[in-house]
Amino acid sequence: MISGDSITLSLGGRSILQAAYVDAVPGAVTVLVGRSGAGKTTLFEVLVGRRRPDGGQVRWNGERVPRPSLAKLARRGLFYHPDRPWLAMQLTPADHFALLGSGPSDWHAAADMLGVTAWLSRRVGALSGGELRLTELALGLALAPSVALFDEPFRGLEPRHREQVATALRLLARRGAAVLYADHDVESVRRTADRLFSIERGATRLVEGFRERPLGEWYHEWPL
Amino acid sequence: MLLRWLASRQFRSYLRRFTLLWIVGKIANGATAASIKLPPLAFRPGTELVVCVFELAILIAFIKRANEDILLGNLGLGLGAALAPLVLVHFALSLALAVFG
Repeated sequence: MISGDSITLSLGGRSILQAAYVDAVPGAVTVLVGRSGAGKTTLFEVLVGRRRPDGGQVRWNGERVPRPSLAKLARRGLFYHPDRPWLAMQLTPADHFALLGSGPSDWHAAADMLGVTAWLSRRVGALSGGELRLTELALGLALAPSVALFDEPFRGLEPRHREQVATALRLLARRGAAVLYADHDVESVRRTADRLFSIERGATRLVEGFRERPLGEWYHEWPL
Repeated sequence: MLLRWLASRQFRSYLRRFTLLWIVGKIANGATAASIKLPPLAFRPGTELVVCVFELAILIAFIKRANEDILLGNLGLGLGAALAPLVLVHFALSLALAVFG
């Protein structure tokens, strides 16, 4: 389990995160939902050590992580999918899977499930946006993480690929991983989320009963 | 993981780019040395270290621009660990050039 507790961060004199709290628990898909610019990406970057907060702590299984870094957390079982492409464009998906070696799980199954086998030997730079996203996700599945963070995993995907991504996220959680993703599309959140945090102007809160209540009732309850 | 990393196509691609940077660095370093009447291909550890740091800084800038540090991070490799073997490459190439060049 990973959590960010009382995270505060200012950039250029502007407050980006205000005592933000978020966590991901094993076996559940937790979603951080908020409008563009609300602080979702920044909070994720703090969680994986790509930004140093002004205050607050990142915890792994309840234990404070001093000076977190992505590599350090990945060695403990974290997988991080940012909101921009991160695979090596000159390599093929097969080259990326080869980096895993025999790996913690069979990558062929992950590649099959997301249809990546169809473009396994094409250069990543020649893949479409959807194919690239599915390849990144398959790599994440193959790593068999215990905690997986995805920043806007559905962005720019066609409906067929969105379904595949949603299935993969659910599968990760069913395997016991703590899945946390950020999004601003509340409808996709409804279909996938077990738990929900909202974020607005850098402040977060846990939203209870979001499935039962009409969308307008909770989505517009931002602490403005 | 480190052995797998060293055998990977991604590391080989960094090795190629780093070798090009070493050539550029060596030309610049040699030209500067010649201009002050020093042997251009001689091995001067202090200077080599400074040039090596510059080469690595440029390579890291390329890696970060392509977000490949995230790929390495997800594999549990920090930039330091992933690129440390290139320091040996720099010193080995410079030493070989000084001896055989």
